[in-house]
Amino acid sequence: MNVAVNAPGPLTRLAPALPGLPGGAPWDEWRGCALARLQALGLPSPRDEAWKYTNLRLLERRELAPAPPRPVDAGALEALVPALDGARLVLVDGRVAPGLTAGVLPAGLRVTPLATAMATLAPEALAGGFPLPGDDVDQRVRLLNSALLTDGLHLQVDGELAAPLHLIHASTGGGAHPRVIVDLAPHARLTLVEHRVPLGEAEGFAAPATEIRLQPGACLEHVRVQLASAREIVLDDVQVQVDRDARYVQLGYAFGGQLARAETRVTLAAPGAHAELHGLFMVDGSRQLDNRTLMTHAAPRTTSVQVFRGVASGRARGVYDGKIVVAPGAAKSESSQSSRNLLLSPQAEIDSRPQLEILTDDVKCAHGATTGQLDEDMLFYLLSRGIDRATARGLLTFAFAEDVIAKLAIPTLRRSLEERVVRGLPDAELIREFV
Amino acid sequence: MTDTIRRGDLLLQVEGLRANVEGKKILDGLDLEVRAGEVHAIMGPNGSGKSTLSQVLAGREDYTVVGGRVTFRGRDLLAMPAEERAREGLFLGFQYPVEIPGVNNVYLLKAALNASRKHRGQPEVDAFEFLALVRDKMKLMQMDEAFLNRGVNEGFSGGEKKRNEILQMAVLEPTLALLDETDSGLDIDALKVVANGVNSLRRDDRAVVLVTHYQRLLDHVVPDRVHVLAGGRIIRSGDRTLALELEKRGYDWVRQEAAA
Ligand SMILES: Nc1ncnc2c1ncn2[C@@H]1O[C@H](COP(=O)(O)OP(=O)(O)OP(=O)(O)O)[C@@H](O)[C@H]1O
Ligand SMILES: [Mg+2]
Repeated sequence: MNVAVNAPGPLTRLAPALPGLPGGAPWDEWRGCALARLQALGLPSPRDEAWKYTNLRLLERRELAPAPPRPVDAGALEALVPALDGARLVLVDGRVAPGLTAGVLPAGLRVTPLATAMATLAPEALAGGFPLPGDDVDQRVRLLNSALLTDGLHLQVDGELAAPLHLIHASTGGGAHPRVIVDLAPHARLTLVEHRVPLGEAEGFAAPATEIRLQPGACLEHVRVQLASAREIVLDDVQVQVDRDARYVQLGYAFGGQLARAETRVTLAAPGAHAELHGLFMVDGSRQLDNRTLMTHAAPRTTSVQVFRGVASGRARGVYDGKIVVAPGAAKSESSQSSRNLLLSPQAEIDSRPQLEILTDDVKCAHGATTGQLDEDMLFYLLSRGIDRATARGLLTFAFAEDVIAKLAIPTLRRSLEERVVRGLPDAELIREFV
Repeated sequence: MTDTIRRGDLLLQVEGLRANVEGKKILDGLDLEVRAGEVHAIMGPNGSGKSTLSQVLAGREDYTVVGGRVTFRGRDLLAMPAEERAREGLFLGFQYPVEIPGVNNVYLLKAALNASRKHRGQPEVDAFEFLALVRDKMKLMQMDEAFLNRGVNEGFSGGEKKRNEILQMAVLEPTLALLDETDSGLDIDALKVVANGVNSLRRDDRAVVLVTHYQRLLDHVVPDRVHVLAGGRIIRSGDRTLALELEKRGYDWVRQEAAA
């Protein structure tokens, strides 16, 4: 990893923000450690391989410090996210907003707001311990999240939860640094739907970190909808540990952000562990969306699937950088990775880098990537039926995206995402009639 | 647009059409006239340019027209974009209909119909009228209604795709239908269904051009004119007996006579 020496950058401005954060002295010390480590490493620079596609100049001028608590009106929130069956939890700028909680928490779910717990529990005693990120992979985003850790949730699930749990991340501007920890007991089941929505158009920065631990036989469907505003930077970091015969399925839909980067690292830790990452990202204007995955098959007979679809228009830029590592001894593992991308304008760009690192024999791995324009045969077929060109292009773009949206089992959510896709297309009115 | 077409009016006139694909000469001085009320059959060896002709007429831009003229109902066809040709009443039944997952079959049909109607200054059909119309045509094509809600041709068998092409034609009621090997890959019963579909479109103010390799379709849809396309041009035209003769003797003799 290259270490960049940062001139008085955003990190040096952070120290004054630290004392106001929750938890007692042990937490102040813990955050201080994280900040010192991060300062030693420096913020990512274009010389870092993993950041070379990311426009870091945006970061330089951004205010990273946590935003002060601000009241939010429930009505404003409800206009932005669809109502789902099941309970709703809300974080505003990374802080738990108890007044916005809705629905009844089901039996089998325990919710612990972190800021409250931090007042009485030291880092090593909370939610199974809060180790500082190590040096094994580039975890500077996680270090940043640790240095400014404000609040968050520990979700503990024991049993099968029928209704989805809705977790909304709303932002009003400024920094947001929550931690979400999800623990599923053996054979527990949960559908967690996360929505990231902006309340207003203020400049913002979020570095949320998520920690997911699935005990043997547990099953988590993790839906993530990212609708950040064009003035927000979101650096998202998700870490997943999948135990024996457990199953992690992520369905990601990323539309927003001035610069949005989502990194998901999954470790398939015991035989029979399975993970799927399905991702759709659509980016326009001069925005950037960067998707990174690291799928580690650490045990024999583990399986993984990754399907990513990207659409870029205008001068926008998208990235899919996905790495599969099959560790020594992870024999009889199977993994696949597919990345298909659509460029709707000559200046748009998507960099797709599926990578495989196989350190053992007897595994099945398949990967493929294509980036191109709309299919000419399909386009001509529609034109030959009298559909005008703009509508035909919109329809085919919609169909491309729909592939990933169709994976969603929740109809309200599916419709709201379809509507979001249509809204971003030229001739939305015409296309809406089709869907 | 509302001017009426009478039997015998010239619908399509192709004069000296020359077209290339990727620099390769495919159509090389092709002439063809199709009048209202007629059914034409175009036969010819593989690779002779039959699909190229259909696609050029329908407006595919991969082919470069390097010479000749085409008029459709007196208007310069080659100057119109593909979607306008369709709205003017030209329909292409594809030899290999493409699958478009995610674009719903029935919505495409409705949008296509309304695009033509709008073009002709007619009001759009509402959902109710439309469904009644489609159900009617599906019965004619003996198609299960389940096909309506699938993606366009998605997962359809070869024969089902061809039926779907004819269903679209039956709903759109084009003035000129170009059917490129719609009979290929059909079982005996399906061939009759497709032939019925084509015959139901036959009217004094419309015309059909069938591209086919086999006499068996022409037993059901009897053509007025039969053409042999070889080497990028029509080298012989005749009545329906020409098709019967080709079936018996192949193409070599026609080519030899044309070369002589
Ligand atoms: N896109 C293309 N690129 C290169 N060559 C092409 C292309 N399209 C057609 N051709 C060539 O043009 C010639 C005519 O093709 P066409 O499909 O029109 O033949 P056809 O008469 O329809 O044949 P068939 O009876 O097999 O359907 C062939 O030699 C074909 O290979
Ligand atoms: Mg052909």
